[in-house]
Amino acid sequence: MELSYQEKLTLIKLNELKKAKFDELVEKTGLDQVAVMRAVLWLQSKGLARLHEKSERIAKLTETGKKYAQIGLPEWRALKVLRKKGKVTLDDLKEVLSEDELKPIVGLLRKEGWASIRKEDGKLVLEITENGLKAEERAIDRALKLLAEKEAIPVSEIEEIIKVNDLKRRKIAEEDIVTERTVEITPEGEELANKGLELKEEVSTLTPELIKSGKWREVEFKRFNIQAPVRRIYPGKKQPYRAFLDKIRRRLIEMGFIEMTVDSLIETQFWNFDALFQPQNHPAREWTDTYQLKYPKSGYLPNKELVERVKTAHERGLAGSRGWGYVWSPERAMLLMPRAHGTALSGRQLAKGVEIPGKYFTIQRVFRPDVLDRTHLIEFNQVDGFVVGEDLNFRHLLGILKRFAVEIAGAKKVKFLPDYYPFTEPSVQMSAYHPELGWVEFGGAGIFREEMTRALGIDVPVIAWGIGIDRLAMFKLGIDDIRYLFSYDLGWLREARLVW
Amino acid sequence: MPKFDVSKADLERLVGKSFTVEEWEDLFLYAKCELDDVWEENGQIYFKADSKDTNRPDLWSAEGIARQIRWALGMAKGLPRYEVEKSDVVVYVDEKLKDIRPYGVYAIVEGLSLDDEALKQMINLQEKVALTFGRRRREVAIGIFDFDKVKPPIYYRAAEKTEKFVPLGFEEKMSLEEILEKHEKGKEYGHLIKDKPYYPLLVDSEGNVLSMPPIINSELTGRVTTETRNVFVDVTGWDLNKIMLALNVVVTALAERGGKIKSVKVVYGDFEIETPNLTPKEFEVEFEYIRRLAGIDLSDEEIKELLERMFYEVELENGKAKLKYPAFRDDIMHARDVLEDVLIAYGYNEIKPEEPKLAVQGRGDKFVEFEDTVRELMVGYGLQEVMTFNLTNREAQYTKMNLDFGEHPFEEYGHHPPARLVEIENPISPKWSALRAWLIPSLMEFLSQNTHEEYPQRIFEVGKTTLINENKETKTVSESKLAVAIAHPRVTFTEVKEILDSVMHHLGLEYELKEIEHNSFIPGRVGKIIVNGQEVGIIGEIHPKVLENWGIEMPVAAFEVFLRPLYREPYL
Repeated sequence: MELSYQEKLTLIKLNELKKAKFDELVEKTGLDQVAVMRAVLWLQSKGLARLHEKSERIAKLTETGKKYAQIGLPEWRALKVLRKKGKVTLDDLKEVLSEDELKPIVGLLRKEGWASIRKEDGKLVLEITENGLKAEERAIDRALKLLAEKEAIPVSEIEEIIKVNDLKRRKIAEEDIVTERTVEITPEGEELANKGLELKEEVSTLTPELIKSGKWREVEFKRFNIQAPVRRIYPGKKQPYRAFLDKIRRRLIEMGFIEMTVDSLIETQFWNFDALFQPQNHPAREWTDTYQLKYPKSGYLPNKELVERVKTAHERGLAGSRGWGYVWSPERAMLLMPRAHGTALSGRQLAKGVEIPGKYFTIQRVFRPDVLDRTHLIEFNQVDGFVVGEDLNFRHLLGILKRFAVEIAGAKKVKFLPDYYPFTEPSVQMSAYHPELGWVEFGGAGIFREEMTRALGIDVPVIAWGIGIDRLAMFKLGIDDIRYLFSYDLGWLREARLVW
Repeated sequence: MPKFDVSKADLERLVGKSFTVEEWEDLFLYAKCELDDVWEENGQIYFKADSKDTNRPDLWSAEGIARQIRWALGMAKGLPRYEVEKSDVVVYVDEKLKDIRPYGVYAIVEGLSLDDEALKQMINLQEKVALTFGRRRREVAIGIFDFDKVKPPIYYRAAEKTEKFVPLGFEEKMSLEEILEKHEKGKEYGHLIKDKPYYPLLVDSEGNVLSMPPIINSELTGRVTTETRNVFVDVTGWDLNKIMLALNVVVTALAERGGKIKSVKVVYGDFEIETPNLTPKEFEVEFEYIRRLAGIDLSDEEIKELLERMFYEVELENGKAKLKYPAFRDDIMHARDVLEDVLIAYGYNEIKPEEPKLAVQGRGDKFVEFEDTVRELMVGYGLQEVMTFNLTNREAQYTKMNLDFGEHPFEEYGHHPPARLVEIENPISPKWSALRAWLIPSLMEFLSQNTHEEYPQRIFEVGKTTLINENKETKTVSESKLAVAIAHPRVTFTEVKEILDSVMHHLGLEYELKEIEHNSFIPGRVGKIIVNGQEVGIIGEIHPKVLENWGIEMPVAAFEVFLRPLYREPYL
């Protein structure tokens, strides 16, 4: 059995005493009261000792009582003078009595019948009586003596001599409640103690001195309550949503995707819309659905040949298409806006040149004119990209989407729905069955329209994809208010669990 | 995009067959619709249909969905046929409308018996086509009238603004001008004609007004009820092809309800046309193209059969297919559009996904990886990372930072911030009307929202700031920056300098600080950060005036640096 230093010491001493008052035990161990009490309680919980506690009303002397025990009760002091002089005035008693004692003395002596009192020449005169001459020890005197000897006496014991109230009335004694503790060793304790216990000094902190001196070998380490609660501390850590995006990014790279980046959050309408074959009168390009810049207003168009091809695609069509059939405006295409979707970057990358076959992705901040509330953000992150290759087809598109659902959402099942994007045909929306969220709209994809890819100089199929990660992020982060993805709440960030 | 309600019973009446709700969910996919919601109302089951395709207005009503499903299920195949009988009605179009709203096309549908549900669908279709396909009535506006109250011939003419009629929902005559000012629809759509010298008006031979396109119908003829048997349809706009398609969509939907279509002669100054024109359109594709991109082994016969379920008439010749498709569709631009129809008819969920096997290797952008390395270092100092919005406003970037917009020698500040912001013309709220040009204000905003939280508060962000650069294609550049802010009762310049110093050391860079004056910081406790002779950032103790502006009652010290100048190519 593991015993601390204090427990061992206490047990050894208790074994010598077998049964002892607690105070006695304290004295024997030489430890302080608190340490011994703790040791006794532990010993008791281990079945090695038993603590008995008895509470009792006791009487003890007051400060006045203690004085009386020393110099005698006032009536005895007065009687002594009376016996000597036979007859005295109050002034004569001043020698032996204090001011406080003088007043009640007349009453006391009369009550005991030790003196007779009368007035002579306007002065109070006390004369000793027969009783006074042969007065003996009374109950109160015996009680005082007893209390003076023993300090504290159970009320029940005193009451055999005198009513405690009588003592209290004369402010000789007061009552109190004391607990008497006795400690007793159990047979198990005795057995353990008799086997011999090795005693070592106990320390609470391991200090460099203990290590250097090697003294640690001789000491015992104080046992801690390891269940005691502690203060919560907050580490420096990554923003949880950003950490989630980091993870998505790593996973995409592992899956063979190349990261695309750009140098501005601002885009020309050309790259945001026109290069993606989105006609200039498309509803998504309405003033209410698309931001425009006040300053700077317009940017530049890319090289002439590219612009010419895009213009042709819109006006008359490219690659066997009849086009949208309207007059394309370069001024409109030059207008600047905060980028509204990551697909704009796919267009740029395709025009810049790509590895064929190749897989590309971007995690990009995009902007939509929405009001900020618990389900809408004013800016958010989009994860999208494309796969380009000689012989890609629609089944590949479904295969890529399904892989995302499995790898990123942990989905078991997927469902495909027809969808529409201005820049892809055919187009698909995917719902993924998440074990805890149920069916979640998880991504969209399509094969980029030939009108678009041909204009950008690519003549093999390009599968465009985008995955919706916000609901998944909200689930992982345990939030139902989308604003917490960009949390301004430090308390929440400090408490937020890690994402891995 | 367009969402609308349809009743299950009405759909089943139109299809001629009943299905469970789950079956309907799958059937909707043939019509490029998602079943968004299901509910019960007055003992009827209703669906919320979310139509995905902005170029298929023929699918934006119960009639359209039901028609597509009947074909997809093989209950009908090939081209849908609608008989069109010529009427002797003529509409004369005024040449003066050339720059106002030049074109109108018309049709009559007779023998209708519309119940409440059918009436709802008619109104819904008319609204959705004008809203989405018609770009909020700019390109297409539709009116449907009780034909029995109209006395042909009919005139679509330019009218004086003082002319009067009783608009729908009113009792008194109003002038055209008044309608634009006072009528709800006038206020909503008035901008489409307001500045024109005349306003368009559709009137009959007795001078009774049918409507003022594209604003409002008249009370006299524009109210169609369950009692109405014969209707006159009017579609106006700027592009004849577009409005004819809209007319075809509306009249064929009414024909699905048992109406008989009659055509009308429309006389323009220099030509005349008979509308509606339901002659099928033509397109040519190679089946091999379809097969290759579908990735499914389909025989010519199978492709033909799938196309017939999507309204096509197919004439096959040496692997080349001559297609005819109905006049209510106008979305076939390229063989790809035909391909999608084949795949939808086949069923997306019947196709086995296959991951392409491509010999490619992934790689991350090296600068993004550098940013990540810096972020990890910052976390090591015990700083909490935050991610704030790029959108902000002038006040936050300048005023609250104790700077006057455009009056300061901002070059001095080394673009912290620059003299001008990238600003948005049409912000949703003034609060989000510009892109940030420096990060410290974003961190100040963050701290200002957390004054009740335990201090010390130690935060950082690696984020973008967007600056003007006239030489760039977008005249802007979004530079990555690191910003740190520390707030607690005893924070000083030294504490943030220690972090800056450590960052520079760990990136293997020498730096120096040069004291400057900057109103956002306490004088004598602010400096430019210089690396390789280039100014890369700013560091200092935030001025109490700035703290007061943000409502922060705690000292704050901060710095921000551009990351691009600190970047070097990695070893690996």
